[in-house]
Amino acid sequence: MSVADTLRYHWNVNLLGRAALRWRRWQTELLAKTGSGWRSEILTPPLRISAWTKELVGRHYLQGNFAHLHDKVAWVTSGAPIEFLRALDFYVLYPENHGAICGAARVVVEIASEAENAGYSRDICSYARTDLGTLISGKTPVGKLPKPDLLLACTNICQTVLHWYRVLAHHFEVPLILIDTPFIYTQVSDHALTFVKQQLEEAIPMAEKVAGKSLDQRKLKQITRLSQMATYLWLELLERCKHRPTPISVFDQFTQMAPIVEMRGDAVTVDLYSAMLKEVNDRIAQGIGVVPNEKKRLLWDNLPIWYRMRYLAEFLGRHGIVITASTYTNAWGELADLINPEQPLVSASRTLIHTLLNRGAGDKLATMRRMIDEYNLDGVILHSDRSCKPYSIGQIDQRDRLIREYGVPALLLEADHNDPRSFSEEQVANRLDAFIEMLGV
Amino acid sequence: MEVISVIPRRLDVINKYKEQGGYVAAVLPIHYPRALLRAFNVLPVEVWGPPRVDTSHGATHLQPYICSIVHNTLSFLQMGGLDITDVIIIPHACDSLQGLGSVLLDFVPPDKPIVPIYLPRGRRESDIVFLTREFYAIYQRLEAITGRAPSDADLMKSIRREEGADEVLIKLHQSHSCLPLTDIAFYRLIRSREYLPAETFIELAQAVLAKDIKKPRDGIPILLSGIVPEPMSLLEAISEMGAMVVADDLACCGRRLYPPGRSGDPLRRMAERIIYAPPDPTRGNPIRERREHLLRLIENSGAKGVVFYDVKFCEPELFDLPTLRCELQKAKVPSVTVEVDINDPLSHQTLTRIEAFLEILNERR
Repeated sequence: MSVADTLRYHWNVNLLGRAALRWRRWQTELLAKTGSGWRSEILTPPLRISAWTKELVGRHYLQGNFAHLHDKVAWVTSGAPIEFLRALDFYVLYPENHGAICGAARVVVEIASEAENAGYSRDICSYARTDLGTLISGKTPVGKLPKPDLLLACTNICQTVLHWYRVLAHHFEVPLILIDTPFIYTQVSDHALTFVKQQLEEAIPMAEKVAGKSLDQRKLKQITRLSQMATYLWLELLERCKHRPTPISVFDQFTQMAPIVEMRGDAVTVDLYSAMLKEVNDRIAQGIGVVPNEKKRLLWDNLPIWYRMRYLAEFLGRHGIVITASTYTNAWGELADLINPEQPLVSASRTLIHTLLNRGAGDKLATMRRMIDEYNLDGVILHSDRSCKPYSIGQIDQRDRLIREYGVPALLLEADHNDPRSFSEEQVANRLDAFIEMLGV
Repeated sequence: MEVISVIPRRLDVINKYKEQGGYVAAVLPIHYPRALLRAFNVLPVEVWGPPRVDTSHGATHLQPYICSIVHNTLSFLQMGGLDITDVIIIPHACDSLQGLGSVLLDFVPPDKPIVPIYLPRGRRESDIVFLTREFYAIYQRLEAITGRAPSDADLMKSIRREEGADEVLIKLHQSHSCLPLTDIAFYRLIRSREYLPAETFIELAQAVLAKDIKKPRDGIPILLSGIVPEPMSLLEAISEMGAMVVADDLACCGRRLYPPGRSGDPLRRMAERIIYAPPDPTRGNPIRERREHLLRLIENSGAKGVVFYDVKFCEPELFDLPTLRCELQKAKVPSVTVEVDINDPLSHQTLTRIEAFLEILNERR
């Protein structure tokens, strides 16, 4: 990259862009202080710190807009190990997060249709269709996505990502690093752990070659340490929801989780979650809950329904029901103890293989049961997500066991995490009404 | 042809094998070490659905957006269709089969052992080493189930027998258009490898190869790609439309033409055979390799077009389709896609689509 490119990058990202984002954050904070920006009679306003989260996410995508002037770019799957890429100064983009942004911005139908018109079936993951639609049309609410120099797919969340990244590799003609994590049906085997570690060792020289520099082990340890700190803070934040009334709902958690996914390993993520924890502690001290009169607390299973979060929060909130915890947001914190900054690769292989989606359906049920006890929950909504088969298969039996063996009301809600065409508002409302009745509210 | 009418029936083969003191394994799609099972005197009998079963049993555990192969397998199992088998082998081919394995292990355990196999998605040395060790773990499971412990020599003997059967299978595929067999007869023979012991299959196949007529059959030559040609009446319909399948890229057939292994270590040799099999999206082969493979098949067989015949909801197939079709178009090879549910009869819509495609091919001849 030339000096002119570097100057252009800093001018756009660190001067103009940062100032614009800071200004927007300041405005949002001001509105939050006066309470004039929030229009819900049912829900408590979001955390004041949301403005900072939005600024960080905005900045991340702004960096992406100009990344080609300054950094090598890696596109990675959400469960992939990014610490070594960050240590090699890659700009890291998560297409799944981009998909979620499109979902929350309700532009998925328009963008995914571009992919469908190009022949991609509506039966494939809606995140993938959204990103492939952006690839084909350039349409995105984040300006533009930088072209990758490297792709990294880790199969610990699904095999879908590998199919998707093979398409990307073919399209961009760039190397694809695969970290394959054998699924844990019952217990992890030594040879599976060794396999994952070997692949990480093999991945580093490939990434070094693309980055044009060698990996600094000290930097890798430092970034791993920051990842671990952020992960612990995230977990602590979620565990604050054990308090009654629930200080932040699962919908707040979904909104606030972007940094733990795409900015893990950055010092600013640690700062953000430290400050967030403080604000949540303040809420608890003041007895502020998500809904004014909390009657029932629920567990959410599976990905969010990005385009209907507010609708669901208000629908339930109207009845004094709050979704307190979720297996999904918990998955980004529950493995904090496995991270060891002194042994980044060994610990990465352990955390990668033990992610929630790489464990059996019975194990997920056990996680749900544990969370129901620890968070004092009254019921479970299992989002049966058309676009996420590994998360959804097993939910029918999980629901039955929760009801039959644990006496916990549980509802299977058919939808799709990103595609509103698979969401029937009337049907959902009917099912929720019946469920609420079952909860005795 | 006479030979085809004497292909032993699946149930007869199973009963005979068991009468002789052998075990039978129900094996789900797609790749697994046949030789390893046979070394333990376990006959692998593959379960690709099967089609046309009452799916209400599976529907009480699986969502409707899971593919019909997985739905049917679970239904068939719950209806007692696999009662005759002694063990269920579940290779990890996709998220849906992974889910089925998990549901079976955790929620609806059958009265027999379930042995999942993880198949790595790369072709690196680490993939071969992992798969070798995975096979060793399977060896230990089979040892516990059967009480046998085959030696390296036993394993090698079993490998050579399977390699022999696969060699004949490759020959059948290569001679496909010159054999005196209709498409449905050919694929009945090919698919009998799903349950026949290798030695029986070799005998049958060699009898057919001996009658190689050296003169290509007549019809519009096409290549069939997908998972499984079910319902099999599809092949009859294609013949009636004046076309013939001259090559395939089917998961149950052409993608399992395993090359011989190289290693002297039996478990590693089994791993090599699967890792170096023809390109398959479920094993993570790059799309480029699939394109090259398809173009090679087209060139060698003289196919004039490709029918992508896919099972609904099958992500491994669906992701590659737009790119593959675009690449084929660049090479001036027309293609068509058809989506099916293996439980449904061949629909009029499907047939019309294929017929229209064949007409286009015919005009280009």
